Amino acid sequence: MSDRYYGEFGGQYVAETLMNTLAELEKAFEEAIADPKFWEEYHYYLREYVGRETPLYYAKRLSEKYGTKIYLKREDLNHTGAHKINNVIGQILLAKRMGKTKVIAETGAGQHGVATATGAALFDMECKVYMGSEDIERQHLNVMRMEMLGAKVVSVESGSNTLKDATNEAIRTWAKEAEDTFYVIGSAVGPHPYPRMVKEFQKCISVEAKKQFMEKEGRLPEVVMACVGGGSNSIGMFADFIDDKEVELIGVEAAGMGIESGKHASAMALGRPGTLHGMRSYLLQDEDGNVQLAHSISAGLDYPGVGPEHAYLRDSGRATYVSITDDEAMEALAELCKLEGIIPAIESAHALAYAFKKAQTMTMDQAIVLCLSGRGDKDVHTIESYFSGNGYLN
Amino acid sequence: MANRIEERLQQVKERGDKAFITYMTAGLPDMQGCADLVKALDEAQIDVVELGIPFSDPVADGPVIQAASYKSIRQGTNLRKVFDMVADIRADGCQVPLVFMMYFNTITYYGVEAFVDRCVEVGVDGLIIPDLPYEEQKQLQDVLDRKADAPILIQLVTPVSGERIPMLLEKARGFVYCVSSMGVTGQAADFHRNVLDYLEQVKSVSKIPVMMGFGIRTAKDVLPMKHTIDGCIVGSHFINLMEENGYSTDAAKEYVRTFKAEMNA
Repeated sequence: MSDRYYGEFGGQYVAETLMNTLAELEKAFEEAIADPKFWEEYHYYLREYVGRETPLYYAKRLSEKYGTKIYLKREDLNHTGAHKINNVIGQILLAKRMGKTKVIAETGAGQHGVATATGAALFDMECKVYMGSEDIERQHLNVMRMEMLGAKVVSVESGSNTLKDATNEAIRTWAKEAEDTFYVIGSAVGPHPYPRMVKEFQKCISVEAKKQFMEKEGRLPEVVMACVGGGSNSIGMFADFIDDKEVELIGVEAAGMGIESGKHASAMALGRPGTLHGMRSYLLQDEDGNVQLAHSISAGLDYPGVGPEHAYLRDSGRATYVSITDDEAMEALAELCKLEGIIPAIESAHALAYAFKKAQTMTMDQAIVLCLSGRGDKDVHTIESYFSGNGYLN
Repeated sequence: MANRIEERLQQVKERGDKAFITYMTAGLPDMQGCADLVKALDEAQIDVVELGIPFSDPVADGPVIQAASYKSIRQGTNLRKVFDMVADIRADGCQVPLVFMMYFNTITYYGVEAFVDRCVEVGVDGLIIPDLPYEEQKQLQDVLDRKADAPILIQLVTPVSGERIPMLLEKARGFVYCVSSMGVTGQAADFHRNVLDYLEQVKSVSKIPVMMGFGIRTAKDVLPMKHTIDGCIVGSHFINLMEENGYSTDAAKEYVRTFKAEMNA
């Protein structure tokens, strides 16, 4: 059995009911990733269905303005509009291999829900997506998308009625129905082997980016960065660079209305180690050890915890984690629209905003590779509302 | 000092009876009312009281206990206050065996060492931690093992534990918490198929009392397996009953007495 921990983080903090399920999953996962046929099928769908590889785009006007080379890994060009589908294809192929006929998923903004509903339609599986009743209201378009794709969206009314509660409910359902049901977790979180699995299925981002950057520049980039909610696009963006010690890895969390306001989603900045959703990691908690609600204008970063490998990368000093406020992210978003003609997801705009700060310490001979994790179509209402001064929906 | 749970369950066994445990979310209807309820249950000869420490994300619990937890948290219940309440109950001479049912985050936030010390100090006899499976227990068990009179970490066994059962029970103490159905607390008594086979399997391996829980309402629910188990646990139904009866201590006593009488008839 492989190690369940990343340093002191990770583990399997789940009910006894799920321990055999996790053991079965781990065994199936290890067998699958050792099987070339599994990878062949995975890459077939990534190429023919998702549309990989995605470009590594040299953002010329941004680079000129900020004085260093900025390359964007265009995950926004994937089918369904974000990196989430990479992981879903991997996990659903694994589910089929295990003989499961149903999938369940949690979703906050709805992106992972849409990706899972898409994968379920493609591979003819029954799909239920758990979503907080608050999120259902504010992400109505994605609810309709999931339903069009044949998924059942289950409204979760417990606790704060948002992503963390939807995740709790998905875990509860899984404990009941694991016999024929596979739980597709969307972020680099959850009990072992999920964080490892999500990394494996998002690794394609950095494997491609490294090769593409080598072709263009003949060397490694100085800086690689991505936004961090639970941490799936970032762990995918970091994965193939972790052993290249000369590459600086930066994860960008959401500072919401500012770290000092208390309304933020920066588990690394202010969280303490804790246990939630089957893992030990950094976690936002109140003075009684209850989980605190995260806040960010971006629903995809609005998560009180973070994947355990990120907690380990932070504590071991291999990666640095910083935060960007709602306002900084929205400014960066507007800039990318105007200078490059790309409307990014608000999540990705957080990474972009920090890239602009970081660029000021760099030169034109150096380069940042940034994961543009998703497109902004889903955010148009929020963006409109923010810039018209009405506050925002989230 | 012998552990109160072990002592009590031994007495029950010697009488040839089955043991009865109720679960209550700590802090409901309020701190004083909760203390009164524990004492009332003791008067009604409950064998063990399970007190749920409310947590924001109770993944092993169904809707009834989730709602109760949420309500209690909003009233300001926290671990520190529950410890103080237990200290008061003990100071009043109540020696009922007490188990905390709680999530692991509440313990790590308080600090594992400090938590165990305070359990010993106030007289907590057992711990049920549904999100701390056997493989993750060492970090807590090592601390428990170092302290005299530390609470017992109760082991949970489920219908899908299968070949894990001997490992889970090898060093188990107090009682085995036998989860009778899949999923979370409080579902109706649609027990897992072959529940009797499963209970018999656990009983054959277990050197300690086997208590069945999840989905039980009345003594009738456990009559079919009465000769296999050593007793049972009622949680969600007891909370519903208390909610319906305004946390009346008389209603609690009546329920416990009736249940025990019917189960041991």
